[in-house]
Amino acid sequence: MKKEIINHALWIKIMKMSLTQLVFAISFVSLCYSSVANAQDKLKTTISISLEDKSLKTILTKLEKEADVKFIYSSEVIQVERITSIKAKNQSLAVVLDAFLSPLNISFRGIEDGIVLSVKDVDPNQALDAKRAKMDVVIAADQTIKGTIIDEKGEKLPGVSISIKGTTRGTTTNSNGDYTISVPDNKATLVFSFVGYESQEVLVGNKTNLNLTLKVDNKALEEVVVTALGISREQRSLGYSVGKVKGDALRTVTQENVVNALAGRVAGVQVNQTGVVGSSTSIVIRGATSLSSDNQPLFVIDGVPVQNSMSNMRVLGDRNEVDYGNPISDLNPDDIESVSVLKGPSAAALYGSRAGNGVIIINTKKGKKGEAMSVNFSSSNVFESPYRYLDFHYKYSNGNRVGLLDERSEYWAGIELDKGNKAVQWDSPRDANGVGTPTEMRSYKDNMKNFLETGITSTNSISISGSTDKTNYKLAYTNMTHNGLIPNSDLYRNNISFSSAYDLSSKLKITTDINISRSNSNSRNSTGNRGGNPFEAVYNWSHIDVLKMKNVWRPGQEGIQQNYPENSSMDNPYFLAYHLLNGYTRDRVFGNVKAEYKLHPNVTAQLRASFDSYQENRETKIPYSYTRERKGGYHLNDLFNQESNLEFLTTFNKKFNNFNITATGGGNLMNQKSTDLYMGSAPGVGLILPNLYNISNITPIGIRYNNSIRNKAIYSVFATTSIGFKDQLYLDLTARNDWSSTLPVASRSYFYPSASLSWIASSTFNLPSYVSLLKLRGGIAQVGNDTNPYALEPVLGTDSWGNLVSNTFPGTLLNPNLRPEINSSQEFGLDLNLFNNRFRFEGTYFYEENTNQILNVQSPSSSGFNAKQINAGLISSRGWEIMIGGTPIKTQSGLTWNLDVNLTRMRTRLESLTPGMNFITLWDDNNGGAQTFVGQDIGDLYSRGYKKVNNPSSPYHNWPVLTPQGSWIPENARESRIKVGNFNPDVIIGIQSNLRYGRWNLQSSFDWRVGGQYQSFSYRYGGSNWKSQLQIDNLIQGGLYTPDQLVALLKSNPEKYIIPINGNFPRIGGYTKETGGFPIGLGTGTNFDGVFIPGVIETSPGVYKEHLGGEGTRMIQASNMFAWSYNQQVTFDADFLKMRELALSYDLPKMKGFKAATISVFTRNLILWTKANNGIDPERAFTITGSKQGDTQNIFRQGLELQNVQPWTVSYGFKLNFTL
Amino acid sequence: MKNYHTILNKFILFTGVFILASCSNLEELNKNPNGISTSEANVNLLMPSILRGYALSNLNLGYQELAGTVQHTQKDGWWTGHNQYDWGLQDWNGYYTLLRSNRYLGELADKSGSKFHMGVHLAMRGLLFGTVTDLWGDAPYTDALKGDQEGSKFEYPAYDSQETIYKGVIQDLENASKIFEAGNFVGVLPAYDLYFAGNATKWHQFTNSLLLRYAMRISSKLPDLAKKTIESVYKSGVYFKSASDDLALDYIGAAQSDSWPSAADFDQGSNFRRIKPSSTLLNKLIKDKDPRLEIWFRAVHCKWVEDNSLTVAVDPFIRKNGVLQTGTRSFSDARYLTEIGSGAKFTRHYNPKILGRTLDTSRFVGVPTALMEPSEYNLNPTPGQQLENQHVSQLADVYRGKSGGLLKARIISASEVQFILAEAALNGWAAGQAKSNYEQAVKLSLDTWGVGSRYSSFISNTDVAYAGTLKQIIEQKWISSWTNAGEAWFDYRRTGFPQLKTGPASPEPVVAVRFTYGNNEINFNAAEVNKAVDKLQVTFGGSRGKNNQWAKPWLLQGTGKPW
Repeated sequence: MKKEIINHALWIKIMKMSLTQLVFAISFVSLCYSSVANAQDKLKTTISISLEDKSLKTILTKLEKEADVKFIYSSEVIQVERITSIKAKNQSLAVVLDAFLSPLNISFRGIEDGIVLSVKDVDPNQALDAKRAKMDVVIAADQTIKGTIIDEKGEKLPGVSISIKGTTRGTTTNSNGDYTISVPDNKATLVFSFVGYESQEVLVGNKTNLNLTLKVDNKALEEVVVTALGISREQRSLGYSVGKVKGDALRTVTQENVVNALAGRVAGVQVNQTGVVGSSTSIVIRGATSLSSDNQPLFVIDGVPVQNSMSNMRVLGDRNEVDYGNPISDLNPDDIESVSVLKGPSAAALYGSRAGNGVIIINTKKGKKGEAMSVNFSSSNVFESPYRYLDFHYKYSNGNRVGLLDERSEYWAGIELDKGNKAVQWDSPRDANGVGTPTEMRSYKDNMKNFLETGITSTNSISISGSTDKTNYKLAYTNMTHNGLIPNSDLYRNNISFSSAYDLSSKLKITTDINISRSNSNSRNSTGNRGGNPFEAVYNWSHIDVLKMKNVWRPGQEGIQQNYPENSSMDNPYFLAYHLLNGYTRDRVFGNVKAEYKLHPNVTAQLRASFDSYQENRETKIPYSYTRERKGGYHLNDLFNQESNLEFLTTFNKKFNNFNITATGGGNLMNQKSTDLYMGSAPGVGLILPNLYNISNITPIGIRYNNSIRNKAIYSVFATTSIGFKDQLYLDLTARNDWSSTLPVASRSYFYPSASLSWIASSTFNLPSYVSLLKLRGGIAQVGNDTNPYALEPVLGTDSWGNLVSNTFPGTLLNPNLRPEINSSQEFGLDLNLFNNRFRFEGTYFYEENTNQILNVQSPSSSGFNAKQINAGLISSRGWEIMIGGTPIKTQSGLTWNLDVNLTRMRTRLESLTPGMNFITLWDDNNGGAQTFVGQDIGDLYSRGYKKVNNPSSPYHNWPVLTPQGSWIPENARESRIKVGNFNPDVIIGIQSNLRYGRWNLQSSFDWRVGGQYQSFSYRYGGSNWKSQLQIDNLIQGGLYTPDQLVALLKSNPEKYIIPINGNFPRIGGYTKETGGFPIGLGTGTNFDGVFIPGVIETSPGVYKEHLGGEGTRMIQASNMFAWSYNQQVTFDADFLKMRELALSYDLPKMKGFKAATISVFTRNLILWTKANNGIDPERAFTITGSKQGDTQNIFRQGLELQNVQPWTVSYGFKLNFTL
Repeated sequence: MKNYHTILNKFILFTGVFILASCSNLEELNKNPNGISTSEANVNLLMPSILRGYALSNLNLGYQELAGTVQHTQKDGWWTGHNQYDWGLQDWNGYYTLLRSNRYLGELADKSGSKFHMGVHLAMRGLLFGTVTDLWGDAPYTDALKGDQEGSKFEYPAYDSQETIYKGVIQDLENASKIFEAGNFVGVLPAYDLYFAGNATKWHQFTNSLLLRYAMRISSKLPDLAKKTIESVYKSGVYFKSASDDLALDYIGAAQSDSWPSAADFDQGSNFRRIKPSSTLLNKLIKDKDPRLEIWFRAVHCKWVEDNSLTVAVDPFIRKNGVLQTGTRSFSDARYLTEIGSGAKFTRHYNPKILGRTLDTSRFVGVPTALMEPSEYNLNPTPGQQLENQHVSQLADVYRGKSGGLLKARIISASEVQFILAEAALNGWAAGQAKSNYEQAVKLSLDTWGVGSRYSSFISNTDVAYAGTLKQIIEQKWISSWTNAGEAWFDYRRTGFPQLKTGPASPEPVVAVRFTYGNNEINFNAAEVNKAVDKLQVTFGGSRGKNNQWAKPWLLQGTGKPW
């Protein structure tokens, strides 16, 4: 009998392997094959079988073929040579097995990778003896070991394999986690192994009782990632870098927008939260590679491409810019099982055009086959409090000139505060003639603190999941309620999701996922400048107690006139918060229905229809007396977006000798439709009656309306194949062809291929045992990209004059012969794991080229066209991604510390453009902004040039040349602009630390950005309006020196005192005599708020006269001389370090009725450090605009911060999660 | 293996059908439903945006930026461009945008054979290119607007000299004039002709009036062409003759975009409040006892009173009907309007001996040119731009309005035509009598502003009565061009009249004479614009480079004017 076993190669192999090895080997094989349905599902397979007097082994082999399952068992325990019979017709495998194995005293259990067979346990102890008695192999038992195996949470583990090292003998734990085994002598070593857990070896010695805790093998669980088309792959088989984030990492700390949770977690991924809760969050993978788009990746949720963009912004009413949040925030983070980030085109090539910016694949949680019904509740509350504000001085009241109060002015250059000065103020008591009594002038530095409330986000969810013999299901509901920092601001989200799978027959399976969500808000605040933005309004007054503005309306004029200093240029912040309301409701449905049919044991076909649709209804109410629209306004904007995909896939897989081959082919029909309908009051016309918000309350001639429709379709065919050789060499090939409706007939069909190779060198060579994994990988790919609809043929614009509508000729010269954009990429990487995976390294270098960019670039209007569509240019991006992970601490007592650090360095360069153009503009403001010259990096920031001494041999080299009036001379030519930075960081570092001890878990996540700059227009206004402490600090107190001393001082260090740098254009003087101000005439007398600008005045070409305070120096009043025209003045370093998350959680011990319970407390987004240290969060350097910027399609300006001045906040919260 | 083949075949068939079945829709799907195709437009529908666009931009020049340059007005908020020509680079996109639609108007007129629309196209082409070259100098003309023709040949259009452009302008206007002279047009929808409601005779007068304007414009450089053109038009007798002929577009007044630019309804009056009369114009009106003074300007809210008995330099508070209003330095504009409207009189006293200087105590006070701090002028107690300066005049209340009455976008008037004829006659050309032309011009201007009845007393005033000098003709023309200041600027450059002096804040000691080429050209048409810049004659402001606002274009080169 033994001979037969030996003769059979497969069985030898199985015999030689431990059960765990076997399980792994099988699972690797099946995972390479693609998404082979797991064995639990296979138990539902209907089979027919009839065999008489065959060995159990033969019958099992036949069953494996019939039902496409693997049986996993130890031949020592299961007597496979026993002769028996089986007969069944059209019965489920489960029923067949039960009938067949039960009499043989064998039990079975479906796990992920196969069906585990073990000897039935009746009574653990007696049964084992009984079993042993039936074995052919007689063991000379001279020592019996008993014990119980548990996991780290203390749960008992059934099915753990225990074998005696060097022998084929072994057993498994019963349902109580107990085992008994006989060993030959005390030198024997027991090997404990279990799928998903780390194996342990223990020398028996003289023990008779051996209890053990098995630890979860994180590495093993991470091995599998989801790749394009939902194919699960073993990570080591991939030739490209895929970022992965487990769902629980995203769920421990509650985030309103799931994208926020990805910050710092994956190398190559940059996340920016652009504003308050509910604002858009930008996520860019491997840098911006396309100038024509917002570079946001494609999101695919359960196979459904889901729409997202950074352009969900609108200006409704004058200076009322509103960010409605990117639509991906509709997704409920609690539903997420796992996230895969496909970074390069290699990974994403199968997704087609839209994958050029990478793909984020999200799989939601599902019910599992064989799982009893369970109910999960979770509840969290997050609180958010402000703690750091803009550095404004609060030394002087509003006013334009020393000693003069003007509450209408935005300048803080009036009466000195907190010195007992008195003046008639807006709320001073007045007599019958309206003559006011002067009251004391005080500063109110806590205005912002007093105005804001504690933000509270409550999230509660419940889900039910389970299975029956033919189906599994999960139904979940989540409610999120957020009350914002700004009084009266809110955000709500309700999600219902349902997923289910149903086996119609052994060959046909139907699955579906449906998500329904509603996101809504009654009031999203404006983030614009000098309009509806409450943050800016609070910072408008230094001497007015904001709490006194709480009575929003002037008495007797409720709804008509806000209460504030008469004729102010800014609004009462409470008026904005409570009455200028930007509401919206976004209802969304996405989901899919999939049918999978097994054509052949090796061939599966599937058809999937997926759908994503949302409708967003916006309503803006602007009350009477808003400073920008005295008669208020009313605006309605309805958006509708829909995308449907119909996908057909066929998959073939087979193993030939040393090769595993999987091939998939299919096609996809994608249709998109969107509509936009707007109706509202014309600027300045407003409402007929105050407080009545209805379109009928606008004069007919004052109503503005428009709508637009967009349609697009892409049809595709694609194929992919992966070939594995001996589990150490893997080759992946993909090909796809798209037909896009947006391109001309001649070029609308475009093909793109990819190839990648992964080599597990550690399996090929006999490396030292401390090397757990050495892998080399590389890939090349090409992806094509189409453009927006209607980009080929011009249509006339319209224009109205009263009721007369007329046509205008469009100003953009279209190109009817567009070709698709092509992105080619290469990436190479090395993975090295050492010391049993306790040290992990992944390094990737990538290089991408984007050619044929489809851009609307500006052109000379004298050519008849302001812009023309070009189809040229080359943008290259290159970068490094390095991930270093390790388990520095791991003790037997259960203390484990995992630390993962990822570093990303990338640069994107504009290599070429169309002839005649040498730069591209991302946005342009104040003759500066973000533009890139050919040969330079995308994201470069510029400032207007100023005239300076260019002669290097002059003693005044680089000094500013001033006008005869003593101010800087602007140089407006583009070539004169000064490069002052780049909005992309040099290096992005993410750090994740996870410290686990028993039931305790402390996890933290850091996001560190090194390098990069931004321009702050909050500081531009703050400086110009004489509010910012920074520009006071920068003044050189010249009046405190004698003229000679001053000249000597200034000349001693021109780089510091004379030559402009980032953040400072030197000025000499002060605001008062004491602070070094110079005398300057004012109406009835002299003041000491004179300043001058150091530099030289050119008296004749090349001849300069010093302007350093001596005779002829032109003094200017301090509050009126700010380097307003030069963005360099407000260019700051963007470096920051944030603790994105810090969470402490505790898994409660098992209680009766509870399957699991966890409680956690956390804080998030704590800014630990910014280099500029000016109270601005560098992430907020995104400015919403209402229109496309520069040569891009973006309606935001990256690298510019403008009144996006939410104070720094600290968020803290707790979360409870339990399962019944 | 056969099994696989069958499956493969099925797959290919299925996928093929799946894809190809729908491919034919793709082209249809990409047809833009949001606009009219360029092949389906009606020629009439192109006119309104061009006619309105020109009128509004001309008013903006003449009431805003250039009104400051020629010292009709000064601003005391956002003033550096207005008062002291501290202009950045100036783009001409607005004009070329209108020219683009106008080119299409011409194409449609040609296609449909509509002579009227062809005439409008030519007249507007002349006027638009004329304005571009008036303001900037050399500009793309022959090669302009052809970016979509012959591949990329005209992507970066070459510049033509001003001489070529002006000759072309006169040619276009003459061609238009001939078309309109022929009369009898069909296919015109009068509502779409915002200027003359489809009246070809009016268009004929208009184009001839423009011919007079442009002929005189080039008279220093091309005197023969100027003389010939003016004499020919004068001989035809077809041009604007009465104030009711004036071409001026009425505002609608429904929304900000179709209302007078300083309409207070839309911005709390901040645009209105910034504009102040220039003392140059205001003092001239006072001196000449000009009846237009109170039509255009309003007396100060609070008049300074010289009071040598005062023990302090100035009253700390205002006086209402002589009574000191303790605690009140000034009222809001709205309060003043109410109080003054109900008969109150406000004053503030000062003692020049203690103050050490005098203040302007007139009822009407203008702001001098290019002050360093215009909002502080005449000892304003509320400098800054949030509150009006109570000691300086504002524009008349009518300019707070949205539409109607005097609020029109003025393009060309009968008065201007008569001033041109007066100048032509003074040159000795066959254009009638200089004196009667001048007097008629003055009368027509008073008619325009509703004070024609006061003509006879006004014309007899010193400095107004005909003196037979170019200086006088141009000075009166300068006054009559109120809210159409562009013409006054072009006359100033050509003649040096009125003799404008700039102020202390001006970067250069003289008034600017041209617009600078803008970023759009410098960035996207650098090679061509640099050739044009090279042809400029630098006078002042050389430190800013040749493309500055004091450099002389061809039209001024060698004329010795205005300096």
